[in-house]
Amino acid sequence: MGNIATRRSSAVSEPAGFTRHGDNAFIAQFSASECEVLINLAGQIIELLSERADHGDDDPLAAMVGITSHDSPPDDEVLLRLLPNAYADGVDAAEFRRYTESVLRNKKKAHAMSMRVLLKSSQDGGIELDHENANAWLGAINDIRLALGVRLKVEERSHDELELLAPDDPLRGVYAVYSWLGWLQESLLQALMDDSANEVN
Amino acid sequence: MVKTKSKIEEEIQAIFNVEKPWVTIVWDDPVNLMSYVTYVFMELFGFSKERATELMLKVHNEGKAIVSTGSREEMEHDVARLHEFGLWATLQRGDQAL
Repeated sequence: MGNIATRRSSAVSEPAGFTRHGDNAFIAQFSASECEVLINLAGQIIELLSERADHGDDDPLAAMVGITSHDSPPDDEVLLRLLPNAYADGVDAAEFRRYTESVLRNKKKAHAMSMRVLLKSSQDGGIELDHENANAWLGAINDIRLALGVRLKVEERSHDELELLAPDDPLRGVYAVYSWLGWLQESLLQALMDDSANEVN
Repeated sequence: MVKTKSKIEEEIQAIFNVEKPWVTIVWDDPVNLMSYVTYVFMELFGFSKERATELMLKVHNEGKAIVSTGSREEMEHDVARLHEFGLWATLQRGDQAL
């Protein structure tokens, strides 16, 4: 599983992360540039998932009940990681995908949209999430990290290798964002799993 | 002989388990954080933090773990929810080799 980077690039400023306030409030304060990065990345996930829209000639009734025209896995590596096969067997995987992929795409889009809308409507970068919103954010941040992870080839490269990317390597900035998102996600998880806060009620 | 309550419950459970030959498997992934995988197991399956951590470590150390058992339909539901949160999950018949 993934590691939290011990060292962060100066390209992204040090954020405070999420902290728990009371029973059901998780609060973070983002700078304008952090908001911009998050809004932009959430938008890219929404766009990517929308690209794999169902074809126009679909049976509208089938579309209504969530049956998609896709039964083969996405060619794009990132989309394949976001929308993986549910079975090792190709025939079973195709059948499952046909009946479930559009629902999965819409759920992932909803997570990213929830994050995007809250950030866009925030005047000063202050964000307050309830438990439900926090789960949507966790899913959205995770999808972004999965997407960046594919581009960074996290599967093949070691943690140290990524930490030591040359300053002029364009992936260095991607890795800085990837690391920051991991740190942000971790802060939200710690706030959610704070046992001492749960015992109050 | 009087059967204890737990014994009866065990027998009832066994009757239903006959129809539970499918499993959901979560595979290790270099991106998903250990704390995230633990949290998702707690949220989706209602596991205690201890049980969820144990399963997460099994995935981490052994590369995969069975996280739920049941009918094919139930396992498809579990896999879909795990995919929603970005975990790498598949389902298969329980009698197939992992």
